[in-house]
Amino acid sequence: MLESHQRFHSANGKRQILIADDELINRELLRAVLQDTYELHFATNGQEALDAMRKHRETLSLVLLDLLMPVMSGMELLRAARADATIAQIPVIVISGDIDSEIECLQAGAMDFIPKPYPKPGVILARVLRTIELSEDRDIISSTERDELTGLYNREYFYRYVEQFDLYHRDAPMDALVVDVNHFHMINERFGTSYGDLVLRQIAEALLTAVQPAEGFVCRREADTFLIYCPHGVDYDGILANASIRLTNGDRQGNRIWLRMGVYANVDKMLDVERRFDRAKRAADTVQGSFARRIGIYDDTMHERELYSEQLIENFDSAINEHQFSVFFQPKFDVQSEPPILASAEALVRWFHPTMGMINPGVFIPLFEENGLVQRLDLYVWRAAAAQIREWKERFGISIAVSVNVSRIDMYDPYLVETLQEVVRDNDIDPSELVLEITESAYTQDSQQIIETVNRLRDLGFRVEMDDFGTGYSSLNMISSLPIDALKLDMQFVRSAFSGTQDTRMLEVIIDIADYLSVPVIAEGVETEAQMLTLREMGCDVVQGFFFSRPVPPEEFERFILERKAVEARVREGDGNDARRGTHKQTAVTYGRIVQALAADYFGIYYVDIQTGAYAEYGAHHKYRSLGIDTTGTDFFADTKRNIERVVYPDDIEMLQATLTKDNIEDSLNRTGVFTVTYRIMFEDGPSYVHLKATRMVGGNDKHIVIGVSNVDEQIRREQERARAIRLANQDALTGVKSKLAYSQDERKLDRAIAAGGQGPFAVVVFDVNDLKYVNDTQGHAAGDQYLKDACTIICQTFKHSPVYRIGGDEFVAILRGTDYAAREQLMAQLDVNNRTDVHGGGVSIAGGIAEFQKDTDQRLAAVFKRADTAMYENKRRLKGTSGSSIR
Amino acid sequence: MTLDDLAAYGANVQEGLGRCMNMEAFYLQLVETIKAEPNFDALAAAIDAGDLDAAFSASHALKGVLSNLSLTPLQKPMEELCELLRAHTDMDYAPLMAEITQQLERFRAL
Repeated sequence: MLESHQRFHSANGKRQILIADDELINRELLRAVLQDTYELHFATNGQEALDAMRKHRETLSLVLLDLLMPVMSGMELLRAARADATIAQIPVIVISGDIDSEIECLQAGAMDFIPKPYPKPGVILARVLRTIELSEDRDIISSTERDELTGLYNREYFYRYVEQFDLYHRDAPMDALVVDVNHFHMINERFGTSYGDLVLRQIAEALLTAVQPAEGFVCRREADTFLIYCPHGVDYDGILANASIRLTNGDRQGNRIWLRMGVYANVDKMLDVERRFDRAKRAADTVQGSFARRIGIYDDTMHERELYSEQLIENFDSAINEHQFSVFFQPKFDVQSEPPILASAEALVRWFHPTMGMINPGVFIPLFEENGLVQRLDLYVWRAAAAQIREWKERFGISIAVSVNVSRIDMYDPYLVETLQEVVRDNDIDPSELVLEITESAYTQDSQQIIETVNRLRDLGFRVEMDDFGTGYSSLNMISSLPIDALKLDMQFVRSAFSGTQDTRMLEVIIDIADYLSVPVIAEGVETEAQMLTLREMGCDVVQGFFFSRPVPPEEFERFILERKAVEARVREGDGNDARRGTHKQTAVTYGRIVQALAADYFGIYYVDIQTGAYAEYGAHHKYRSLGIDTTGTDFFADTKRNIERVVYPDDIEMLQATLTKDNIEDSLNRTGVFTVTYRIMFEDGPSYVHLKATRMVGGNDKHIVIGVSNVDEQIRREQERARAIRLANQDALTGVKSKLAYSQDERKLDRAIAAGGQGPFAVVVFDVNDLKYVNDTQGHAAGDQYLKDACTIICQTFKHSPVYRIGGDEFVAILRGTDYAAREQLMAQLDVNNRTDVHGGGVSIAGGIAEFQKDTDQRLAAVFKRADTAMYENKRRLKGTSGSSIR
Repeated sequence: MTLDDLAAYGANVQEGLGRCMNMEAFYLQLVETIKAEPNFDALAAAIDAGDLDAAFSASHALKGVLSNLSLTPLQKPMEELCELLRAHTDMDYAPLMAEITQQLERFRAL
């Protein structure tokens, strides 16, 4: 019978009602009354009705139920529905001529009873609507109590419930427990959020089962944090063991989910409910990451620490008023200068407590960050720093920029900009002298607002450094689009690069890219000369750390200012000792550079009269003695020619003999002021790269040149390594095509070419691989990866002559020029044909959109990209409309 | 069959039409189906066989639709029969069945 009514079904936004009656006439009568207002489903017996309720449980607003029906009666259905939690909440109105059954029906869970013969249509409509609304209100109330995902109490309701419970159980000792999932974000990342949700639901169920017998109750506070309030003395281990489940579906078999628990036992009922669970949470955090200990107990030590924290918070006001906070300064050195020279300072706060002595900022700053007091502390430091800048300027006639921390909370202060302006104005300094350090993570959270604020500050002349870079939030791509004046590498990041395996490759890549983007790099936490030198070689501009100085009081800092003044004075006198190094920038070689060479890098220095060939050799030492070169000679070029055959790596002999001639050197010196050549020398342990550099002595009239030979083997190997690391960063690991980073670099190049007006025709194609998520979800990530690779192969084979980039999970871009540009229409058609054939074969389908560069209107690649992206989405919609369903 | 025919037959046309949102054609279409309603035969067969439960089932279903369509001359004896059958009353159902049959004949003749 259900079929005969199907023509009445409508897929619109109406509420849905199920009509269960075995008599056609009754169903038709109800249909006539209800069909304008509701979407109707029909059933002709109780079993059909039960099936329909289960099938439409998400959408069904009401069931109208006849009592006497074949197969399963209305009353049986009513009872079955109440017993099935998934459909028990769907309201039912019984419609029957058996008035005597009314009470029984209502007791069995019916919400209303309508007699037969049917009352007037208006009455039916009104009662139906009232019942639906009542039931929806009830659902809303219950959903505000419940966490949608797990069905557990939500946080607000749970706290209220605990308060109520305590009112009636004043003397019952209770425990507050917090359960967290270790590395839950990893589960989400590896297996997807739907799997993560499943895990959370299973944990919720396990906790509920474990706690209910002890008359405890459970809520999900947020994300992967569960709270339990239960009578004191339950078996914590037992609860945790029961809830630590082994999930065994599909190929993820055996993925153990590790939980940790924090216990605040026998709670102090004078405490806020929230604070009780804060204590339990803190206890849970003490065992974070530990596999040996899974349960943390809030104990006396933690309690003392909490009291200590409270005391610090209490003392904050007097500490500010009595100037217990002192501002120290740590110098930042420009290491691309030789010798390194003071560039600026960072202001760092210290607390000298009258009774507790010096308090570590690592203790009080996180505490004040947590409760917002840090905002007042920051202002205190800004003012002190600004006053100090002013004082130094007056006393030493020199401007030392000082950077200060701007905490995340400050960034949300609507008056931040005005406050900073006021600080600068009050102390009569320039905004550029008060440098603002904003932590990297602030940029990633709510970044739009932060970026707007930072832009305003920079417009006003403030300089902004991104602090703590490398702690894991931002990508290198971000840097190019963010408004910053310098990148400050996180101290831990620098330290870990230099510890253990000395893996500095990532550092190098970051510095290289920052250099490419013209953003200076500052390294914090530099402790040794070796670290400083390495960073300098990599191209790091400014270094801060114990190697130069710990943070010192202003009086002590003055010696750095005096040193800088002395260096500057020497420079003015023409000593030249401040030569810019320019390892990266390849500036001209100067006398300062030769001095430096004499001191360190070169193993051979020759002082040669270019006209006569008379020469002297300096500084051949330790292992390079085996070269056996004379200390003085009358014909440098003849001697060299001879020596070359003895010491140079055979493959390079011919090249070097042809290159290292008097004419060549002179010619090059005349043109560029420098002559260089790189070749290999045979040492006992094999060939090594050396670099020979010749330059004239200062002043154009001197007939002498200086030639330096340095061992660059390590440097060359490092450059090869660096090139490899950069290549890797530019390549997508999965598909091997160009990465998003490469895209943003190429984008900049193209934008420059467009700006210069020299860009020829090109087109951008944006691709989106359909159904990746579906494949990932149903067949696992290995299949998903293969699916992506297949898609990528199709794109690369279709657009053979174009660079292809993977710019997102399932998004690719190709930039078409030349052959592919000319054939763009055929190629897009080919992609389309591929989609049609492949979709029906269950294969890969790729939505593509193309846009051409319009020389007259497009000022940036992004404009072309945007049009292609729009075209791609239109194509995607079409694909879904026509054939998308054949995949699913 | 017209509304007038039904009124003359004794049906409460006003009420029945009201349940059909005053859609005359729809009402007449539903009423027409009663002429071939199989439950009448099922009821007679059950009574003949002495199966009071089956007879109750059929009479209950008929009572429901007849009352919803307000076919009063059929509805009244059907209600009476249904209540007697519900109580498994031990009696001769023939006179009541005869009346129902007679009213059904009248109705079918419309």
